[in-house]
Amino acid sequence: MAATATPEVVPGIVHETKDKPKSGLEPGYLVICWNDPVNFMQYVTHVFQVVFGWPRKKAEFHMLQVHEQGKSVLTRESMEKAEHYVHQLQKYSLHATMERDE
Amino acid sequence: MKLIRRSDAKLLFHLGLREGSLLVQVLKRYPRVPPAHQRLNKSGLLPNQQENQRLLDEALAEQRADCKKQLQALLADPRRFHKVDSGFRLSLSQPDTEWLLQVLNDIRVGSWIILGSPEGKLEGLNASTAADFWAMELAGAFQAELLQALEGD
Repeated sequence: MAATATPEVVPGIVHETKDKPKSGLEPGYLVICWNDPVNFMQYVTHVFQVVFGWPRKKAEFHMLQVHEQGKSVLTRESMEKAEHYVHQLQKYSLHATMERDE
Repeated sequence: MKLIRRSDAKLLFHLGLREGSLLVQVLKRYPRVPPAHQRLNKSGLLPNQQENQRLLDEALAEQRADCKKQLQALLADPRRFHKVDSGFRLSLSQPDTEWLLQVLNDIRVGSWIILGSPEGKLEGLNASTAADFWAMELAGAFQAELLQALEGD
């Protein structure tokens, strides 16, 4: 384990370590899959694995969230990437949308 | 529909005579999801919402046209779909399986939408709804066979 160094404080110098203000960040978009009574659970799991490259367990977790809670937030992305994922999911006729993450 | 061979590259199925012609009949109904059915967003608060929605509609229409072409090519290709004495043989590569799943689910979901998107059991099955109900159930049955074959169960 590396030793912890004593912090050196130089008088008169103020180090700004604040994060970039939130308004300066690129807004994020949530990719959401909504429940419907027509798509098979096995099919939804398969689509999540193919579209996101997820392992089966993760895909099943989100599929069950859709089934039991009515929706699942699948990922948070830039606008372009979120649009891409929504398109991929809709190609498989899943009920997917993107919503701005406020 | 029975999986008779699976390798990394291909799935080979045998279908009985009736099954094979039912598959062709149901696939002829593609596409079934109405154009511009899918929405990009629920709240309507995206930047350039209309333009982005238009682009999505165009992309989905293009994808359906592409799937339709692939489907016609598959059914006309004797190396991939052909009649044998006891029925039909269907040979699918991994990409074929993916677009065929999309096609079958479009038929299933589209038929369900046309039936009025029932939440539970369909009420009022009659002569005018029977064909869509049949297509929804049959597309689902073929879809389940493909998924099971992919998973190797």
